Amino acid sequence: MSRLRLGLEMDGSSRGRQVRDVVQALARATAVRGALLVAADGFVIAAEVRGGVAIEPLAALAATLGRDLEMGATRLGHGAFQTALFSADDGTLFLAASRIGFVVALADSQGNVQAVRSALEEAVNAIDSSWAPSEPAASAT
Amino acid sequence: MPQRRWWPATRRREPTPAELFGHADRLRRTGHDGEAAELVLQGLRLDPISTTGHLLAAYLHAARRSIEPARREFRWVLERDASHPRALLGLARLALEDGDVDSCREALVRALRAYPDFPEAQALLDGLAERRPAPPPPGRTRLDRLRLPASARALFVVAGDGVMIAARPETAREEGYRLARAAGLAATALQRAGFGRLRRGIVADADDLHFLRTDVTLTLAVTLPRTTHITQGLLEVNRLWAAAQHELAVAKDEVVQATAAAGTRRVS
Repeated sequence: MSRLRLGLEMDGSSRGRQVRDVVQALARATAVRGALLVAADGFVIAAEVRGGVAIEPLAALAATLGRDLEMGATRLGHGAFQTALFSADDGTLFLAASRIGFVVALADSQGNVQAVRSALEEAVNAIDSSWAPSEPAASAT
Repeated sequence: MPQRRWWPATRRREPTPAELFGHADRLRRTGHDGEAAELVLQGLRLDPISTTGHLLAAYLHAARRSIEPARREFRWVLERDASHPRALLGLARLALEDGDVDSCREALVRALRAYPDFPEAQALLDGLAERRPAPPPPGRTRLDRLRLPASARALFVVAGDGVMIAARPETAREEGYRLARAAGLAATALQRAGFGRLRRGIVADADDLHFLRTDVTLTLAVTLPRTTHITQGLLEVNRLWAAAQHELAVAKDEVVQATAAAGTRRVS
């Protein structure tokens, strides 16, 4: 069994609720059609997506994309990966790294890119501040 | 009749490994990795050969970006169940993080062979769409003429079949492949979201901004300092895109003319 470094979260349920609120608020921002918070392993922590989009495959892709960018940036000495946006004819996918995973926003192509980026940044800040690192409580084999 | 005022103390039942893992999984689903890890450790102490426990441990390591421990745990599961789809998906994602696209693809294909209805694996495989080897298109030398902005750190042009046709500086090819791979994953994600074909991208690292343009035939990316204004970066990538398209078209014409001339000489 390998070592799992532990950081116990004392007020976990309220923070979990807060994270869901943050994702819902992002999904309600102008021109945003949906938002997700995906753990680095591809697991969906919170999602609010309209329009029949299959969430699990999208989350798997977003987490893989985020990790690929994160690993590449570190390996190539560019400093930490921060944000990315990819635009298509009918919409734009925004991706940002947070303390507990990747925040994804799906926005209309007509939307104001800067406004969505600001909403995404606010979401990341809210998540990061509520999930500030705690001292490792234990380390076990 | 005297009323009974106390009952003999009953010993509280210790949770079973299955209960611990179930609770850990619920915690993980809400992002509480630390608490989940504590329960997984407790569960694995009680049942060290639990596949569920090792799989959860792998997920938690991956979520905390601990690649090697996560890989060991996924492999532990696969040693006992060679076609475990979740472990194969996990290993595939880790392989991609290492830049090992072939191993990633192989693990996804194995997972889909065992479980054809596995949307996450299918989505990732789509994102790594098979790129058929092809001879490099003509014009790679002409792309050396592209005029880069003075502040540019790198330029990459990757053909639609995955062949790198220009990298400046030459030492930055790995970065070009990384951006092309990211573009492939992003393109699949956009299509899954119903947004259509990927056209443009901007990736921000702590030090750099990467501006990207793409279509089915070409992906071009230019790396500029983080301080670059977004509008300026978009103008630069559009200019380079148009110039690259022009150079490649001219190179193609030259090849056609040279071929025709060679044919004429042979006839005469």
